[in-house]
Amino acid sequence: MNRRFIRLTVNGDTHELAVAPQETLVEVLRDRLGLTGTKRGCTSGACGVCTINDETGRALLACLALAVEWDGRAITTIEGVAVDGQLTPLQQAFWECGAVQCGYCTPGLVMTARALLLGNPRADAHAIDEALAGTLCRCTGHIKVKQAVAKAVADLAAAGNGTTGDGPQG
Amino acid sequence: MSLAKSLSDALQRKPVCHCLEKVVDDRGRDPSGGWLTRISGGRPAVLYSAGVGRRPPRRGSPLHLPTFDYRRPQSLAQALGWLAEFGPRAAVLAGGTDLLIALRQRLLRPELLVGIGALAELQGVQPCADGALRLGAGTPLTTLVEDPLLRVRLPALAAALQSVGSRHVRNVATLGGNLNLPTRCWYVNQGEAWRQARPPCLKTGGDVCHVIRSARECFALQSSDGAVALLALGARLELARAAAVREVALDDFYRNDGLAPTTLDAGELVTAVYVPVTPLRSTFLKIAPRTGLDYGLGTVAAAVAGSNRRVTAARIVLGSIGSWPVRLRGAERIVAEGGLEPATIEAAAEAARADLGELTNLYSTAGDKRRLARVLVRRALAALRRQPEAQAA
Repeated sequence: MNRRFIRLTVNGDTHELAVAPQETLVEVLRDRLGLTGTKRGCTSGACGVCTINDETGRALLACLALAVEWDGRAITTIEGVAVDGQLTPLQQAFWECGAVQCGYCTPGLVMTARALLLGNPRADAHAIDEALAGTLCRCTGHIKVKQAVAKAVADLAAAGNGTTGDGPQG
Repeated sequence: MSLAKSLSDALQRKPVCHCLEKVVDDRGRDPSGGWLTRISGGRPAVLYSAGVGRRPPRRGSPLHLPTFDYRRPQSLAQALGWLAEFGPRAAVLAGGTDLLIALRQRLLRPELLVGIGALAELQGVQPCADGALRLGAGTPLTTLVEDPLLRVRLPALAAALQSVGSRHVRNVATLGGNLNLPTRCWYVNQGEAWRQARPPCLKTGGDVCHVIRSARECFALQSSDGAVALLALGARLELARAAAVREVALDDFYRNDGLAPTTLDAGELVTAVYVPVTPLRSTFLKIAPRTGLDYGLGTVAAAVAGSNRRVTAARIVLGSIGSWPVRLRGAERIVAEGGLEPATIEAAAEAARADLGELTNLYSTAGDKRRLARVLVRRALAALRRQPEAQAA
């Protein structure tokens, strides 16, 4: 039924898959590749739990992307964030700030915050708010998430050039 | 003593009732050990959960997109050829942030999706010879919002596009998609099961309206934020079809009709937006329940040329309040004649209420919409007054 082959690189591993035109990226990640870290939520772009990053590190929603359109491209999912089992400073900040309640939105929030930090490593409180809008925590745990991202910004700044984070305070 | 005993009996008793039915998995076993029951009059409910009988949702389930064919054109000409060939049976897929939701809700059932997302012809911001900016209709909103030229010369447009959806959405959603946003209402823009609970409406092939009971026409709302800003800036659109290209002023693109909100023909595609970059001040404001994701309850864009004392041209547009973005011509005239002075700002805000004409109670009451219009116009004009005046004579 009209399947076509695509070559999709996920977290550095290249997969060749036969997908139907109507398969979305989140379906391919979860149901075909078994990468269930990317969650399936509202499937209509309103909750952000399916957030992944593209080659340039931008956040996008895997529920609103057709797999056939991603032929030849590369994405990063939550499974590909940690390096050799070591949490990144962002993940560490989530851990230390307790920015997790039930955890369902956490992969989406981490991928959203990762995109922010890749594009704007010195994000201030306003930039954090703006970037995180669209990823909903229905346990309403947004305050700690914002603290965690601000902490990651400060930690990265301190590690990067010896200066302390000069802007963001949770 | 007897009370304590009956209480403990009640607590230990399993919920047994003739109207409650045991839940069984797909092999007929009861995974809950008898505790999990549900109210049902029919056959035993089947529980699918991980490890018990995990199955993908059925074909046709609202969790899946419907079936369609997909083609990726190598050129704009090829895309236009397919659109001409398939006509209304084809849909254009650019960013997909609105189309895929419409497909999931079965609002559309196209045979073919033409994926124009990668077409180079539709990308980017280029200055033209006459000083206008050419915005490719396939440019993602984030690219436009972050464009330095756009931010400085067209602040209303940058603010409007920044207010769309979330950053995730703006990273892929395109300008053309935003301008072609379908009109919406709380009956049609739901899942298929919701719609099927009532007979079809004017928009879905019936002859009633479930939102406005007495309506004989469709009053669905147009919520495009880009359209509001571009109308205030006096933009023109470039529309292409298989054998022809035409230009149309954005003023002539939208129609006050929930069923046919634009004059775009079948097989036609918005390929570019031309925005004049005259020395003019512009601003955009949006009132919405949340800063992110929500459509506006009301939006306004205003642009003026000249100084505060002597305004040479003014355009004020209100959005998300009717089936098209509304030019407030009475308010524009007041500002053009009286300048951006506190008294004229107040008069223009008052005139906005009358400029709106007939309003509906869709999403918010007509009275609220009219009051909001006054507030939005007042705030927008006050913001323009505070902006540095142009050096033009």
